[in-house]
Amino acid sequence: MEITEALTSKKKEILSLWIERTLDSYTAPGFFKSAKDPFANPVGSNITAGLTALLELLQADADIQAFGKPLDQVVRIRAVQDFTPAQAVAPFLELKWVVKQVFSGDKNMQPLLGKLDALDCRIDQMGLMAFNIYSECREQLYRNRVRELKSGSAILTDAACPSALLRREQRGVAAKIEP
Amino acid sequence: MTGSIPTKSWMDVPAVFKPGNYAYPAKAEVIRYLDSQKGVSFPNAREWSPEDDDWKLPENWKEIILQGLADRLDRFRSLKIFMDCCVRCGACADKCHFFLGTGDPKNMPVLRAELLRSVYRQEFTRAGKILGKMVGGREMTVGVLKEWFMYAYQCTECRRCSVFCPYGIDTAEITMMLRELLHMVGVGINWAMEPVSNSNRTGNHMGLTPQAFKGNVEFLCDDIENLTGIRVNPTFNRKGAEVLFITPSADVFAEPGIFTCMGYLLLFEAIGLDYTWSTYASEGGNFGLFTSNEMMKKLNGKMYAEAKRLGVRWILGGECGHMWRVLHQYMDTMNGPADFLEIPRSPLTGTVFEQAASTKMIHISEFTADLIKNNKITLDKSRNAHVVATFHDSCNTSRAMGLLEEPRYILDNVVENWFEMPPNTIREQTFCCGSGTALNTDEIMELRMRSGLPRANAVRYVHEKHGVNTLGCVCAIDRATLTTLMNYWVPEVQVAGLSELVGNALVIDGEQRQDLTEGLRTLV
Repeated sequence: MEITEALTSKKKEILSLWIERTLDSYTAPGFFKSAKDPFANPVGSNITAGLTALLELLQADADIQAFGKPLDQVVRIRAVQDFTPAQAVAPFLELKWVVKQVFSGDKNMQPLLGKLDALDCRIDQMGLMAFNIYSECREQLYRNRVRELKSGSAILTDAACPSALLRREQRGVAAKIEP
Repeated sequence: MTGSIPTKSWMDVPAVFKPGNYAYPAKAEVIRYLDSQKGVSFPNAREWSPEDDDWKLPENWKEIILQGLADRLDRFRSLKIFMDCCVRCGACADKCHFFLGTGDPKNMPVLRAELLRSVYRQEFTRAGKILGKMVGGREMTVGVLKEWFMYAYQCTECRRCSVFCPYGIDTAEITMMLRELLHMVGVGINWAMEPVSNSNRTGNHMGLTPQAFKGNVEFLCDDIENLTGIRVNPTFNRKGAEVLFITPSADVFAEPGIFTCMGYLLLFEAIGLDYTWSTYASEGGNFGLFTSNEMMKKLNGKMYAEAKRLGVRWILGGECGHMWRVLHQYMDTMNGPADFLEIPRSPLTGTVFEQAASTKMIHISEFTADLIKNNKITLDKSRNAHVVATFHDSCNTSRAMGLLEEPRYILDNVVENWFEMPPNTIREQTFCCGSGTALNTDEIMELRMRSGLPRANAVRYVHEKHGVNTLGCVCAIDRATLTTLMNYWVPEVQVAGLSELVGNALVIDGEQRQDLTEGLRTLV
């Protein structure tokens, strides 16, 4: 059996375990796993959709550029959540473990365990691309902060009240005049 | 590799403060100034940091908090009911945008309220006094106080959870109480307190002097003249005007609010409205709502004091969110009824706005929709040809005042194409921008992006499905914060106030309009 064929026949198990482990990285993952409405559960549904698309691209041996959109769908969320950079992109590399776990549970697939180098390499590529996207997301965050500061909304808190300054200045002048 | 599932009870998980997950504390000088003002109390001003172990709380902090809670349970019957009647059914649990974006169980409204309720049980119920933790009680400790600070500022008081609560528990009011109690021991955030301080002193969040405020509006008038050939000459502090117009100060000074403001100015010019601006009541926003009852009352009272001084008949309010919540939910008991004013009556259409019989103040969308309905203005949708819109219901205008149809009616009349987001993300069920209640500060950008995800996710859907490129809204905080939110999640979508889209489409006698391919935003 070829790797791609094995990935196809075990797609359901791989995806289920991969999604489960990824969502387990949240403190209270029950809702993220169970709610199906994409608008009521944006984290769970986007991660599920993104990981599903990524596995399908791996199966199809697609061009690496095609991975960008589904990776973004997952990474953009994890880049602003309470994860370290490593934890944010870890799910992509974990796919290697997931595939091995599923294959080792099936006698017919056990012979494939020694032939996963090429797939592992693709998964590494995917993981590195995820890291690029993570960095872009973080840069975007800081650009947003700078843009808000430059737009002047920071005047709300970071500038002294002009009339208070004026009054202080007048008091200062008055103090100088008075002996 | 990806983290782990906690094994501890929520009571045993401490709040950990690190850069990015808390808003900066209020400056001591700001708190000192506010504490010196009549009618409000903000004691215990000091320099402190959430990341330090020692928050330099006053020695008797626990006594202050428990006494404060006792006072509030006595004063606010709603708080007492909310403390007692929750059956922990969980209907609210998955409705909060903070929970949906973070997965942190303490962001489930039921659990966020439990942070306070556990202390209430321990100290104020017989069962809790005897059985303590067995009945969900816990002692008030510094750790609990820190947890309050963490989660009272991870709630935007949007009240989406309340829509789903079978008992109608208003979790926003629980957050309001938490924040009030924290202020009693000098724990608050600067992004709330400095605008409050500025509003108290100069009349607006920015601390703009009357001259600067007037100058900014006149700047916009120059822009309008360049774009449309129409010279608008608004008046300021004019006694005897029929209408006093009050809008968030961000509208006169920051993008994209200024385009909304240009829309107001053009509309009033087109219909010849007898109105005036006030350079003292120069702020529609009321950050007092996010601070304390007394502060909210004082800032709201300023608008009415100014209406009385100028002798206007009624007040017209601009596109703001929480100003309307204060108006509809609290104004009447705090400062009302405004008997010295008249029930708003449109001088153009004769429509009497009975829903404002007590507050005497109506929303610009109500006013504009009525003008359109009665054919009092001419609109050319093709002038918004560059816009494919969707509409974001602001939490406050939708859930606190029921303004659902008027903005949609306006959109129907000013743009060719607009599309609704999915039903469970609009109207009463709308998702918050994620940055309301003074959380629109840049140091918590990550938090804002994750709490805004449910909103952005629905926008992305209509962007991909229908090519939506403009997110219309009727709230100044929305205009500022959704712009940032879109930059991160759906950069193809810009944010515009509805009055900007009205201004774009408005046909005015005598205009010499340039080719405005981007409406009032066009650079000429």
